[in-house]
Amino acid sequence: MRKALTLVVTGLVAAVLGILSLGGLAAATTATEEEAVSQAEELIEKAKQANEPDPYTPAIYGSR
Amino acid sequence: MVRDRLLLYAVAAVVTAMVLAPLAAPGYVLRYDMVFVPRQPLTWDLVAPAQGLPRAVPMDAVVSVLTQFVPGWVVQRIALGGAVLLAAVGAGRLVPTERTGVRLLAAVGYAWTPYLAERLLIGQWGLLVCYAALPWLVRAGLELRAGRAGAVARVLLAAAPAAITPTGGLIAFGVVSLLAPRRGRWRGSTIAVAGVALLNAPWVTAALVTDAGGTSDPAGVAAFAPRGENWAGPLTALAGTGGIWSAQATPASRALPLVPLVTLVLLALAGAGVGLLRRRTSPGVSARLLVLAGAGFLLAALGTVPGTADVLRWAVAQLPGAGLLRDGQKFLAPYALLLVVCVALGAERLVTRVERTNREVAGVVLGGVLLLPVAAMPDLAFGGAGRLWPVSYPADWPVVAGRLAADPGGEVLALPLSGYRAYPWNGGRTVLDPAPRYLPATVLIDDTLRVGDVAVSGENPRLQEIRQLIGAGRPAAETGVRWVLVQQHRADQVDPATLAGLELVYQGVFLALYRNPAAPPSPVMAAPARWAVVVALAVAVVVVIAALFRRYAGGLLRGNLRSEVQTLEDWHA
Repeated sequence: MRKALTLVVTGLVAAVLGILSLGGLAAATTATEEEAVSQAEELIEKAKQANEPDPYTPAIYGSR
Repeated sequence: MVRDRLLLYAVAAVVTAMVLAPLAAPGYVLRYDMVFVPRQPLTWDLVAPAQGLPRAVPMDAVVSVLTQFVPGWVVQRIALGGAVLLAAVGAGRLVPTERTGVRLLAAVGYAWTPYLAERLLIGQWGLLVCYAALPWLVRAGLELRAGRAGAVARVLLAAAPAAITPTGGLIAFGVVSLLAPRRGRWRGSTIAVAGVALLNAPWVTAALVTDAGGTSDPAGVAAFAPRGENWAGPLTALAGTGGIWSAQATPASRALPLVPLVTLVLLALAGAGVGLLRRRTSPGVSARLLVLAGAGFLLAALGTVPGTADVLRWAVAQLPGAGLLRDGQKFLAPYALLLVVCVALGAERLVTRVERTNREVAGVVLGGVLLLPVAAMPDLAFGGAGRLWPVSYPADWPVVAGRLAADPGGEVLALPLSGYRAYPWNGGRTVLDPAPRYLPATVLIDDTLRVGDVAVSGENPRLQEIRQLIGAGRPAAETGVRWVLVQQHRADQVDPATLAGLELVYQGVFLALYRNPAAPPSPVMAAPARWAVVVALAVAVVVVIAALFRRYAGGLLRGNLRSEVQTLEDWHA
């Protein structure tokens, strides 16, 4: 009984941590890269349409 | 005891290696506000900026002195590595517990906070030094409260690294002012508070003597207000110790929808741990720690709450020095520390309860809570998933520095007008222009900060004048600067008309240096007011030396060992 409980709790904790890790890693690598590219393209396009300078010029300290 | 201490240091070292792994490669990590150069000259502008606000006083002076003896890349690694390592060890040792696992949990938790990740990714290493010093400072403050011999010196030695930036100095002053005073023990606490005030004297003096004025552009309040990282908004982000204004300095994992739930779990554990903290510390300590953390949280939230944001906007525009509060998230450090300590104690309580029924499960739970911060933000590993990467300065930089050293005198104007640059040799990462720290001269870089489509004006009156002239299409020669440095990382950025009348002195791949024949060399005259900053620096150094003498002159081994044992006993008193 005790071993079964240990296994269940261990499994659950490992599953939660695993999901969080995989989610985080996915966010940090593939998904974000794609999102960043599309977001950047969108912002550059918007700036062009508004006749404003490219927001990805080095002068930008950061964006919110 | 020794084995536990070694284990704590070992875990801290592993965490440090995980976070800063890319720094094993040679070169300089240049990212946003993090600029290190091979040998930073000790110029007046770095010691006491004449026309800018002293945001890096006395940090720049300290780095300038250190890099006279060791290369900048070594200083960078010691600063970053030391900050992460000592943050972890300090938090681990601060927790009032006898369980090693709980100490390790606090160590990993404090070295893996969104706060640390975000301030690292925006390059504010001086603030991270304060973050690392904080648990040691709190511990020393508690020793002082307990009337321990030599505690004043420990307080001052922990506060000194924190005070290398104005924000860190203020946090240190707040901590000591709140923790040290105790009825009947005024002498020690008064000396400690006065000593920490003196450690803050360099930047306060520099702020008083600069021509920049003390007020800032109120547009900065909205631009630098805490930012929501996911669906839960900025206040929840702050509750999880994140919420920096910059999207580029936020780990991508913070946007995950599960993150607020992790914050909720941590807050629940912290809530469970507060009771243990109260029981295991002497009367009044937990309340003071809560006040400290609460004050930090309130300062962080000022810019995001509608009513207080308006007050802050007014204060930044009208009150000298209030600009320090505009990026309030940086004041979250004491909150982060208390959160981690309480989470560790909450986990201990939980584990103790589980242990009554099943010891194996208890170990798993403790391990799970220990790994929770890492699992929730895995992209802090490996320098923020590769965002920190060392590079080498192109050969142009030492050549230009050599030319300026050979013909000293006069200001250098860096063009195109921009404070931050994304060099191709730095992988396109944005970084504060290294010229003022690399070149042995007064270098003028634009101090306007562009946040998205908002331009937050700088405070330097000289640059304001230059911006107007250049903006009106006048040549740089009319600004009175002796040198113009063109950074050619982007083509067609400098109008040839701006360079009219200048003589090309050096043309490299990335840098071009021009001399203005209309401006003769003018030696830097140190105004008497600037000497006041030097005096304040000297006083701060004397405070540190006196504390070192007091701490180590009176029997190194005897004092150390006894104090460690006593500290542990006090926590349980």
